[in-house]
Amino acid sequence: MTKKPIKFVLNGREVQAFVSPDDSVVDLLRELDHFGARESCGQGLCGCCTVLIDGVSVTGCLELALLLDGKRINTVEGLDADGQLSAVQQAFIDTGAFQCGFCTPGFILMIEQLLDENPDPTDDEARDYLSGNLCRCAAYPEILSAVRNAAMKRKTAQGADA
Amino acid sequence: MSFELISPNTLRDALDLLDVDDPSIRPFSGGTALRLMMKSGVFSPSKLVVLRGIPDLSGIEISDDGSLTIGALSTLAEVETSALVARQVPVLAGALKHLSNRRVRNVARIGGAIAHGDPHMDLPPLLSALNAEVIVESRNGRRHIAVEDLVIGYYETLLEPDELIVALRIPAQDDWHSAYRKVTARSADDWPALGVATSISHEGKEIRDIRLVVGAATERPTRLDISEGVLRSEGVAGLPRAVEAAMESVEVMDDSHGSATWKKALLGVELRRSVEEILGRNA
Amino acid sequence: MGDKTMTTTEVGRSLPRLEARQKVTGRANYTHNLKLPGMVHAKVFRSTVPHGKILSIDTAEAASYPGVAAVVTGKDILDVVPEPYYGPAFHDQPILALNKVRYVGEPVAVVLADDPRIAAEAVELIDAVYEELPAVYDETEAMTSDAVVHDELKPAGTFPDLKHLNGRKDTNIALDFHLKQGHADAAFASAAHVFAHSFQTQQTMHTPMEPIISLAEPSGDRLIIHTASQSPSFVRSEVARLLGWSENRVQVKVGHLGGGFGAKLYIKLEALVAALALLCRRPVRLSLSMEEQFYTISKHASTFHIKSAVDKDGRITARKCEVLWNGGAYADIGPRVTQKSGFTATGPYDIAAADIDSYALYTNRPPAGALRGFGIPQLVWAYESHTDLIARELGMDPVEFRRRNILKDGRPHVTGTVMKDAAIDAVLETLAERMRWSEPFDRGEGTVKRGRGVAIGFKACVSPTTSVATVTVAADGSVTLHHATVDMGQGSDTAMAQIVAEVLGVRTEEIRVVDPDTDVTPYDMATLGSRSTFHMGNAVRKAAEHARTQLDDMAKSLGMAETAAGRVKEVFRRTYGMQAGTVVGVGTYIPEYVSPNEDGLSDNVTPFWMIGGTGVEVEVDTETGRTKLLKMVNAADLGTALNPRIVETQLSGAAIMQLGFTVSEEMILDGGQVTNASLADYKIPGIKDIPPVIENCIVDAHTETGPFGAKGVGESATFGVSPAVAEAIQDACGVRLTRLPMTAEAIFHALHGDKK
Ligand SMILES: Cc1cc2nc3c(=O)[nH]c(=O)nc-3n(C[C@H](O)[C@H](O)[C@H](O)COP(=O)(O)OP(=O)(O)OC[C@H]3O[C@@H](n4cnc5c(N)ncnc54)[C@H](O)[C@@H]3O)c2cc1C
Ligand code: FES
Ligand code: FES
Repeated sequence: MTKKPIKFVLNGREVQAFVSPDDSVVDLLRELDHFGARESCGQGLCGCCTVLIDGVSVTGCLELALLLDGKRINTVEGLDADGQLSAVQQAFIDTGAFQCGFCTPGFILMIEQLLDENPDPTDDEARDYLSGNLCRCAAYPEILSAVRNAAMKRKTAQGADA
Repeated sequence: MSFELISPNTLRDALDLLDVDDPSIRPFSGGTALRLMMKSGVFSPSKLVVLRGIPDLSGIEISDDGSLTIGALSTLAEVETSALVARQVPVLAGALKHLSNRRVRNVARIGGAIAHGDPHMDLPPLLSALNAEVIVESRNGRRHIAVEDLVIGYYETLLEPDELIVALRIPAQDDWHSAYRKVTARSADDWPALGVATSISHEGKEIRDIRLVVGAATERPTRLDISEGVLRSEGVAGLPRAVEAAMESVEVMDDSHGSATWKKALLGVELRRSVEEILGRNA
Repeated sequence: MGDKTMTTTEVGRSLPRLEARQKVTGRANYTHNLKLPGMVHAKVFRSTVPHGKILSIDTAEAASYPGVAAVVTGKDILDVVPEPYYGPAFHDQPILALNKVRYVGEPVAVVLADDPRIAAEAVELIDAVYEELPAVYDETEAMTSDAVVHDELKPAGTFPDLKHLNGRKDTNIALDFHLKQGHADAAFASAAHVFAHSFQTQQTMHTPMEPIISLAEPSGDRLIIHTASQSPSFVRSEVARLLGWSENRVQVKVGHLGGGFGAKLYIKLEALVAALALLCRRPVRLSLSMEEQFYTISKHASTFHIKSAVDKDGRITARKCEVLWNGGAYADIGPRVTQKSGFTATGPYDIAAADIDSYALYTNRPPAGALRGFGIPQLVWAYESHTDLIARELGMDPVEFRRRNILKDGRPHVTGTVMKDAAIDAVLETLAERMRWSEPFDRGEGTVKRGRGVAIGFKACVSPTTSVATVTVAADGSVTLHHATVDMGQGSDTAMAQIVAEVLGVRTEEIRVVDPDTDVTPYDMATLGSRSTFHMGNAVRKAAEHARTQLDDMAKSLGMAETAAGRVKEVFRRTYGMQAGTVVGVGTYIPEYVSPNEDGLSDNVTPFWMIGGTGVEVEVDTETGRTKLLKMVNAADLGTALNPRIVETQLSGAAIMQLGFTVSEEMILDGGQVTNASLADYKIPGIKDIPPVIENCIVDAHTETGPFGAKGVGESATFGVSPAVAEAIQDACGVRLTRLPMTAEAIFHALHGDKK
């Protein structure tokens, strides 16, 4: 299989890699020892493989790695780059919004996006936004609390910045 | 399984790469549907022509006549969150919220969603009810195809392997009001088991014209002509007869979402409810 | 350990999971993440027929495919494992099919390659030819079918009570369990009312989000197995047995699990990767896809015939239960489910006379094992549905009917065991109160109707089983816990650390919990059946107390007062003249237990009882059959919760999982082939499928023998969900469903009569 070189920015760092045409984004991240995005259903349904490409959430098990060329990709590993957990990550801990944690990075990245778009979502809006993320431990009630909790944390932080 | 991934920068180059005689060369826009088919082994491409780098194929515009033109490479999320769409065709924005999930909508393109031809999809019936058309281009020129005519069978469309959808046109809706009812059978988030799209031109309870399209439960999106005729001539009083006609005339399939018997009954209920919803909403 | 009045500071504190930060940053150590130098990837070639003789397996083309390291069949396995049959109850499952295949999806051959995709492509090139044999899928048919899945029964030697089954032929009944208490026939003959019903459950799958995965790594004359397993000790002893090695040559290491629910118990892929690694002398990784999980393990489908004698006052005087468990092609732990759950089939009611017959059956389906509840949800589904139907026929309120018959502490269960620390009535009353059962209820209008239901269930803990733990105190006073309970999300690492912290007077967050590694963590039977909090909790507590006693003794011999928590370092320094030395506390726990006699009776069948119940309010759209859950209340007796927040998540998590099994999930088979083996077609509950209101009530009832009064929790909230929903549906729209799942379509057909 012919591998092609691509260049992209992974969590702020420039990376070069050789990839096969049928490598998915999760395949590539795995090779780069990034395990936060992980494959579960492999069909776009569970969100365990969520990554952000050019700032937008994407299904890493479907997206082809070759298409990352020239793009910015962010994974859960980049969220605490400054040593500080993000408001959403902290909210997950504070509300106990996970059990096994396998689905957690995907939910966290989706909620980061949700709150960027809609700082004060209703539960129903959050449900719609998160309908493509599955949690077999069914921490859903706590995940909804985490959304509310994170929204509040972000607002408080903004208030402090202003 | 090895294939080539090519990213042309112009529409012309993309069209040149396609081959009317070689269905293993495929246009790839979001790739969400193609990737599912590749992963399950039902499709092995020789070449994928990635359309994403082609400028001018995205964007949403309104014309003087009030019609919307949506570039084929607009993502479903762009359409969903567009203020223009929300104003002109709110039913489309609403339907998109419940189509697949946000990550897929961030990547899937409107052209791909229309070209795919899978019966279990939401947009083809809805766009048919909205009387939309697609603008299709090949090296030999352009043509317009009504969305209603586009899908001709199970995963079969009128598109030739060397043709690309370049845009979707939705006419001004004026006094048409629409509803799309998506029924999922196995969980709230699912491909539709049944989709019923209804567009009514009406004043108060008086029906002037109507377009009814059923999808997902049928092999292809299907106009409910007889029911439309009944409602056109008898008005809302004919609703029970129209519902009955729909259930009798449409060939509903048994599939993993449910039996034909049940889905037929659902069709009747959802059709009645959506006509009532539209007339009630805009009374 | 009757420390009911003792105040605790670490136990009972709702601190976050110890590994919380790793989980929210994507850095938790799942086996999934592991890469070993020089490893090859395995891909399994699976049977396409449900039952057949293997005539030939042509691997030549796959073997010569570029990039393929080796292709292995069942015959090759014999080179390293001469008797390649494994299983916890029966040694019936071959590492790769030998001579025969028994279900569609059974592993027949394996391709090894450096690139997992090459392995997957090469698998397509293998060609096997079978002579098809008649197959049987249904548990009732399996009782009498001429199609026999196994030529001969092969019980595992470890269970003396299965010895009599050795070599039994011409039967699909892997195990039959019978219980006889009192004179049921006489009670039926004189009963004012007799009620009989039958109920069924479907085959379902655990679908842990982290698919099943194992790696094996040869290391000198040893083997290291890295696996996402709930039972590292079992894996070690079973692989050692298969290889004919001593246990210390097999090392089993487990990280955090991305969910288990019973799917990752006993041997799943471990024996296969072990054999493959020995054959190719390289590390081997085998990671299943979501689809392949459906061909690996599932939850028993079941049929339950239940019959009750009731007197004129509405008291149940006798009950007869016949339960058929569809175990699929290999027994896995099915015989234990049949027996250890079977004896609770009469329900948490005070019934003087009972006959129970419970059968584990082989069929040509993917194997069934334990799934969150170990058979109990199947039983509760039937006996609580039956309870509601009786109440209806008697014209009694269903809660009142339960009250009248409920099994209270101090009363004997049908096994003869006297109930103790089992707050069955408190769970029922909590539900009734939180559901506002006695208040008027809005029944909806038009075609949309509302109804409600409650149901309760109970479970004995699989017994007798052993847990061992060690607690190490270093010379600086820091504490390390070694134990082999696997944290698959239930928070056991945190709960165990809380126990140690409580005993030693340190903060839980400061305790280091070592991941299960059979080279260093001592024996534990397995993480299953909600046994860990109780068994391992007790072992950990003993280990911590043992460490503490030693520290106290050291302090005493130095003339110091008993160790004040902060002075451990000083004790070590003064004892050893410098910061040196280690104290190791060891704790072993095995509860008391009396094996049932030939009538299935025993006066001590379980170390503790788990009690759970659920109440629901449901809305039914009678035109379409669609239901919406408006409210769900879960209540469980957990003894004293070690970490109330984690426990609450366990309750709603278990109930939501069971909700999936109640209204949607079902493995659909066509000619033995699972036709919906993916999350695209097998729908598990998503965030939009859960009721808007979920309340979890911890019924605080101290367990005298539990660690700090605690008992198991992981399954209790599954018990009542299905029957509560069935009752609520009938309450709303008048139809009763007796088979799971209760899909919209099933309700529609029940309402409108037209079967497809
Ligand atoms: C997890 C998941 C859930 C889903 N749920 C739903 C659902 O609930 N409802 C629903 O309606 N759909 C659903 N879908 C399907 C989804 O709508 C389609 O996958 C998507 O719209 C296809 O768009 P795409 O751009 O990704 O198409 P691609 O995968 O790129 O292409 C699809 C097909 O169209 C062709 N094609 C693409 N672009 C063009 C073009 N411009 N001109 C001509 N041919 C073209 C391709 O060659 C291919 O044959 C779901 C998909 C996934 C992955
Ligand atoms: S693994 Fe990609 S969405 Fe499930
Ligand atoms: S926390 Fe286990 S899958 Fe979500």
